[in-house]
Amino acid sequence: MSEQAPAKTLCVALTQSGLPCKKYALPGSEYCSVHTPKDNGSKQEATGEPSAGSAIPDRDIREELIHELDSLIERIRKLAPEYTPPPFSPARLLELFEKNLSKISPDIGLGILQKLRSSISADLLDVDTWKGIWYMLNYSLEYQGDILKRRLTGEYETDEWGFDQEYLNAVLPFFEFMYKAYWRVETTGIENIPDTGRALLVSNHSGQLPWDGAMVALSVYKEHPSQRIVRTLFATWFPTLPFFSQMFTKCGQVLATEDNGMRLLEQDELVAVYPEGYKGVGKLYKERYRLARFGRGGFIRMALATQSPIIPVSVVGAEETYISLAKIPQVAKLIHFPYFPISPTFPWMGLLGFVPLPTKWYIDFGEPIQMDTYDPDDVQDLVLISQLTDQVRNIIQEMIYKRLAGRRSVFFG
Amino acid sequence: MAEPKVILVTGVSGYWGRRVAEHLVRLPGVYVIGLDSEKPPEEIKDLDFIQADIRNPLLKQLLETEGIDTVFHLAFNETRSPAEAAFDHNVMGTVKVFGACAAAGVKKIIIRSSTAVYGAHPQNSTYLHEKTALKGSLSWGSVRDLVEIESFCNGFRRQAPDVALFVLRFPSIIGPTVDSPMTRFLKEPAAPVLWGFDPLMQVIHEEDAVSALVHCLSSDRQGVYNVAAEGVVPLVKLIHIAGKFPLPVFHLFAYWGSSICDAVGMAAQRFAPFEWDYLRYPWVGDIERMRTELCFVPRYNAEEALREFAGYQRMSIYKPESAALEYDIERLRDTIERRRRAAAQRKADWMPDTEEEDFLEGAVE
Repeated sequence: MSEQAPAKTLCVALTQSGLPCKKYALPGSEYCSVHTPKDNGSKQEATGEPSAGSAIPDRDIREELIHELDSLIERIRKLAPEYTPPPFSPARLLELFEKNLSKISPDIGLGILQKLRSSISADLLDVDTWKGIWYMLNYSLEYQGDILKRRLTGEYETDEWGFDQEYLNAVLPFFEFMYKAYWRVETTGIENIPDTGRALLVSNHSGQLPWDGAMVALSVYKEHPSQRIVRTLFATWFPTLPFFSQMFTKCGQVLATEDNGMRLLEQDELVAVYPEGYKGVGKLYKERYRLARFGRGGFIRMALATQSPIIPVSVVGAEETYISLAKIPQVAKLIHFPYFPISPTFPWMGLLGFVPLPTKWYIDFGEPIQMDTYDPDDVQDLVLISQLTDQVRNIIQEMIYKRLAGRRSVFFG
Repeated sequence: MAEPKVILVTGVSGYWGRRVAEHLVRLPGVYVIGLDSEKPPEEIKDLDFIQADIRNPLLKQLLETEGIDTVFHLAFNETRSPAEAAFDHNVMGTVKVFGACAAAGVKKIIIRSSTAVYGAHPQNSTYLHEKTALKGSLSWGSVRDLVEIESFCNGFRRQAPDVALFVLRFPSIIGPTVDSPMTRFLKEPAAPVLWGFDPLMQVIHEEDAVSALVHCLSSDRQGVYNVAAEGVVPLVKLIHIAGKFPLPVFHLFAYWGSSICDAVGMAAQRFAPFEWDYLRYPWVGDIERMRTELCFVPRYNAEEALREFAGYQRMSIYKPESAALEYDIERLRDTIERRRRAAAQRKADWMPDTEEEDFLEGAVE
């Protein structure tokens, strides 16, 4: 039948599976015998009726829409050749709409259309909107399904430290909200972090919960042009906690041991340490912004042995997120916590006590302190190590004081 | 041609002794003697079997008479909870074997250990090097015995510096035939994990473990080596790759449950062949020295070993014959396809020009 048609043009309609129809169009029509619109007859009948004038533009619009949709599908197919549109495609939706419209009388139908057009904004009638929504929904469904399947068969990548990019992407929105909207973090000196190669970030630690670690890592991930993953070395308490241990490892954080730190730096990673440790993070409110002792100088040994530059980091704002009035070591010992703070909200208000205050944060990255002027063998030099430790500590303390001097309000900066 | 090297393998009736002996008898220029207190279930070809206990005081005379050069000491009784009989066999047996070796002038001793001797602790570095202190669990029988044996080895190295002592620390061993805590763990329909913990795990394929042990025969070094497949896998991912479901248990309940089971004498190990700490904290060995000093290259990486294990497990669900047939059909289909392509290629190469065109057209259709 179609072979007899003089001009062999393909049918413009889509099959039920969403693929373009492979049959040739009937002569004088854009459709093949299967896809010829069923309501053609009624439309032609309708032309004889008084309200016919309104039905024709209606049909034109529809055809135009379908045509536009087809070209869009064609374009998408060119971009991603392996992608086949799902059975429930915009074309099918429009078809459904079309069929139902033909069942009611033309002037009522037109009335509905006009009402839609007038009452709802123009976007809604714009076919691109619908196409967009459908493709988005479909794509995200397929994407999510694909992720789920891969995760259940173990086909995802984790690096040798257990870092899992997909996991990070999943938890990132929450931390981005905390970063952008909640604490409105302002970052300076990001250019001090090298694009590649090893470096050791050394920062002050505060705020009862290690939010500052997350925010420093996020600020580098978000603001730095090469989106580097910061390998924060975390304390030995966290591996004993469910969920935290899993989350830290999957986000690329590593337990704080000198072996781990050296190994990471030798792999040219960006490592962050908080040498104050529990003493810093569990600080009382009245001790805020006064740096505690900087560990035993392990981070200096790491930097010396691997010849990594030290980048001092100051975090201002984190120290006011929880107001720790006192600590109860007995309770802490009982529940195996490194410290147990008492604040106006914790532990009296349960989970509410974990909600941090929305202070304004500043993260400043200082000038790198080069270590290549020293010899890697200086690791044995105890005097040099304590001297360097104090030097780094003083630099960070200075940076904090400088920022505090310019700060007018804890909450608004 | 020099005299063949005489090798003694202890524990040939056990899994590791048998596997290593089977591997050794195929090597040229070696003569293999097997020692065990009971006969091997199946006879090993070319193996000279001697029935005796490793604790026999006449062992030294045997070693001298036979002129033993190398000893693979692989007699080891695995136990979950510490047992006096196993301790006597494993630790005291090792002491007696080593003593006899030193007295009889044996040049090399090779033993099998486990990275579990490091213990799973929250303060463990992600990669533990061989010098890390051995803080393995004292309530896990096999691990306690291994820690004892290894600390004895440290002293033995000083006492008998002429004997080259190899200690290979393997992580969880997996494979189609081995029975290890990890294979037992993965053979249950659901594998219990601690909710919210996902430590990095290390594995090695059974064949690689055997070849690593045999590899020491030709190595001129000595000492302790972590030997594992390349790559570490988080526990949950490992379970998914092996085709099982992780069953999350809240960690406090898991620990309480185990201690209650212990108290009433129930066999909790059926559900958890590992101690919970070993599913909570990492105990991964650093294999840098295996690469650079031992110069051993495992054939399987971690994921390949796991996938092979999973494939074998899936196949063993079906009746062996039908699965074998299915496998055979599949393999023959591949073979035919390969041969057909090769034949077509040969034909294409030899065909004169005109006919080649016809042939190509046919191929397109």
